[in-house]
Amino acid sequence: MNIFESFSMAYKALTGNIMRSILTMLGVIIGVFAVITLVGLGEGAKAYVRLQITQWGTGTNYLELHPWEEGSIPLSSVSEAKLTYEDAMAIKDLDNVQYVDPRVIRAATLRYGRKQHKVPFIMGVSADYPKIYIHNPEQGRFFNEADVSQRRKVALLGKKAANELFGGLSPIGERMKINGDKFTIIGVLEEKGSMMRFDFDDLAVIPVTTAMDVFDTEDILEIGVATINERMTPVAQAEIEQLLTRRHGKKDFRVDSQEETMDMLNSIMGALTGIIGGIAAISLLVGGIGIMNIMLVSVTERIREIGIRKAIGAKRKDIFVQFLVESITISIVGGFIGLVLGVSLSLAIMKFLNLPPTVSYWSVAMALGVSIMVGVGSGVYPAMRAARLDPVDALRYE
Amino acid sequence: MSEQVLAIQELKKTYRMGLVDVPALRGVSFNVKHGEFISIMGHSGCGKSTLMNLIGCLDRPTSGSVSLDGTNTISLDDNELANIRNKKIGFVFQMFNLLPRLNALENTELPLVYAGVHATQRKQKATEMLTKVGLGDRIHHLPRQMSGGEMQRVAIARALITDPALLLADEPTGNLDSKSEREIIAIFQKINRAGTTIVMVTHEQDIAKHTQRTVYLKDGQLLEDKPQENIIIEEQA
Ligand SMILES: Nc1ncnc2c1ncn2[C@@H]1O[C@H](COP(=O)(O)OP(=O)(O)OP(=O)(O)O)[C@@H](O)[C@H]1O
Ligand SMILES: [Mg+2]
Repeated sequence: MNIFESFSMAYKALTGNIMRSILTMLGVIIGVFAVITLVGLGEGAKAYVRLQITQWGTGTNYLELHPWEEGSIPLSSVSEAKLTYEDAMAIKDLDNVQYVDPRVIRAATLRYGRKQHKVPFIMGVSADYPKIYIHNPEQGRFFNEADVSQRRKVALLGKKAANELFGGLSPIGERMKINGDKFTIIGVLEEKGSMMRFDFDDLAVIPVTTAMDVFDTEDILEIGVATINERMTPVAQAEIEQLLTRRHGKKDFRVDSQEETMDMLNSIMGALTGIIGGIAAISLLVGGIGIMNIMLVSVTERIREIGIRKAIGAKRKDIFVQFLVESITISIVGGFIGLVLGVSLSLAIMKFLNLPPTVSYWSVAMALGVSIMVGVGSGVYPAMRAARLDPVDALRYE
Repeated sequence: MSEQVLAIQELKKTYRMGLVDVPALRGVSFNVKHGEFISIMGHSGCGKSTLMNLIGCLDRPTSGSVSLDGTNTISLDDNELANIRNKKIGFVFQMFNLLPRLNALENTELPLVYAGVHATQRKQKATEMLTKVGLGDRIHHLPRQMSGGEMQRVAIARALITDPALLLADEPTGNLDSKSEREIIAIFQKINRAGTTIVMVTHEQDIAKHTQRTVYLKDGQLLEDKPQENIIIEEQA
C-alpha cells in the first residue's frame, strides 16, 4: 500500500468525525500559532527599530562622542571635560571612520529685514552633516570643506525656518543675521520632521568653525562619527577611544553606540521568545498528549476494524502506518491552520506598523517540521498497539 | 497445482484461560481436494471456529500442521501469514465484518489495496465481483444501507476478489432469513462450480446437505467424515 493511499484513508477516517478531529488539533494549532506569531513579531520589531534608527541617517554604524568625566552625570555641563575641533580632525584620519561631524549647538534668533524668527537650534556642523543625517539641501547647496576651513559665514535653513522668514520666496543668496553676524543663505534643507522632540525643519545650519567664532567657544558639544560599516564599528570605537585617551591624557569622554539600543532590543526579544516559546512548547506538548489520547481511544473503538483488515491480509506494518499517518495528518492539518492564523496575524501587525510584510521561510518550515514531529511522537505508541493486536481476538472484540 | 488444497494433520489447539487449559481441538486430521465444497458441523463449542481460524492463518495451532495449497503454514512468520490470508484465503464471517464507513465497492476492493494493486484496476475488479454476486446496482451503498443478505454478498465478493485457493465461511447464513440463506448457498454453489474450493461451517443439516461432504466435529475431535449427494439450488434470475 502506498503512502498516498494511507493519507486518503486517514482523511476518510478523520472527516468521519470532524468535530473530534478539530478539537484534537487545537493544541497543535495554538502551539504553532504562538511560534509563528512570535517569530513574525520578533522580526517585525527588529525591523521596526532598525528602521527607526536608520531612517534618520544615524544608522547602526553611527557613534556619538560626548565630553564626560568618569562618575559625572551624563550630559552635565559642569564637567571639566572638553572635546575640540582638532579631536574631530584626528578622528577623521582613522581608516575605519568615514564621516565626522563635530557640533556646536545653540538657540538663537534669526533676522531678515524686519522679520525675526527664534529657532531652537543653530547647528554648527561639518560638511559631512548631510551624509550622517541623510538631510540634503532641497534648494541651493550644502557648504563644503573649504567653507568650513575658511570659517565662512554661510547658512542653510530648515524648511519651517525658511517659511517663517521668507514666506514662499526663495531665500538663496539673501543675507540674514544670527546674533548680529551677517550670513549668506546658500540653501534650504529638505523636510525631515522631528526625532525625539528635535525639529529638523526649524533650524539653521552653519559651519562648525563659524559657530565657534560666532558663539565664542572652543568647546565641541558632541562629535558624530559614521564608521565605514556596521561590522567595523566596534573596531572603530576602540580606535577612537584609544586615540582620544592618548590626546587628552585621560578618558574624559564617552562613546555612545547604537549597539546598546540593538542589545536592549535583543534582550527584550530574548525574554519574549522565552515566554512565548514556553507557551508554545507547553501547548505543543499538551496537543501531542491530546492526539495520543484520541488515537488510543480510536484504536480501541476500531479493534474490530483492525481485525477485519488483518483477516483480509493487512500486515502489522500496514496497520501501524495507517494509525501513524492518521496522527500525523491531524498534527499537520493543525499545524497548517496554526501557520495560516499566525502568518495572518503577523502580516496584519506588520501592516499596522508600516513594515514591509515578510514571512520567514524557516519559521514556516519549522512549524511544519514541529507538527510532523508531534504527530509522529504521539502516534507511534497507539499505532504500535493497533499493529500488535491479535487478529482472532480483534475479530471477536465486541 | 496439487490435488489437495488443504491437508490437516493432528491439529491441536489449547487456549489458556489464566491457569486453566481449554482444549478446543484435540488432534483433527482431514484433507480437502481441489474443487470440493465441504461443510463442517458440530455442537456449539466443539471447535469449528477454532479450526477455521487455524486453516485461515488467523491463529497458530498448539501442535499439528496445516498445509495450504502445498505450503505448510506452521513455520511461517506473521508477514507471510498475512500474505497467505491476502492471496490464498477468502474469509466470510457470520457477522459480515464489513467496514461501516466504506461502501460496497471500497469494502470489496480492500484485499487488493493490501496486495498493492493499482486503484483503477481494483475498482474494475471489485465492480466485476459485485456484479457476479448480483450487486452490480448497489456498488455505492454503505453497509447500513443494505440488507443482511446483501452485506453477506459484499463479503463474498471481497473474499473472492483475490481469486483465493480456498474460501472459508464460518456460519455465513447464521444471521440471515431463509430466503437470503438460499441465495447465499446458491452463490456458493455457483462459485464452487466455477472452480473455487469452499469450506463452510454450519449448524443446520438443511444447509449442509447442499455441500458435497460433511465433516462432523465433537469436543474438538473428528466424529465423522461423510460424502453426500449434494442438492443444487437453482439461482433465481
Ligand atoms: N480465545 C479463546 N480463549 C479461550 N477459549 C476459547 C477461545 N476461543 C474459543 N475458546 C473455547 O474453545 C472452544 C471452541 O470454541 P469455538 O469458537 O471454536 O467453537 P464453535 O464450534 O465455533 O462454537 P459455535 O458453534 O458456538 O460458534 C470453546 O469451548 C470456547 O469456549
Ligand atoms: Mg463458531
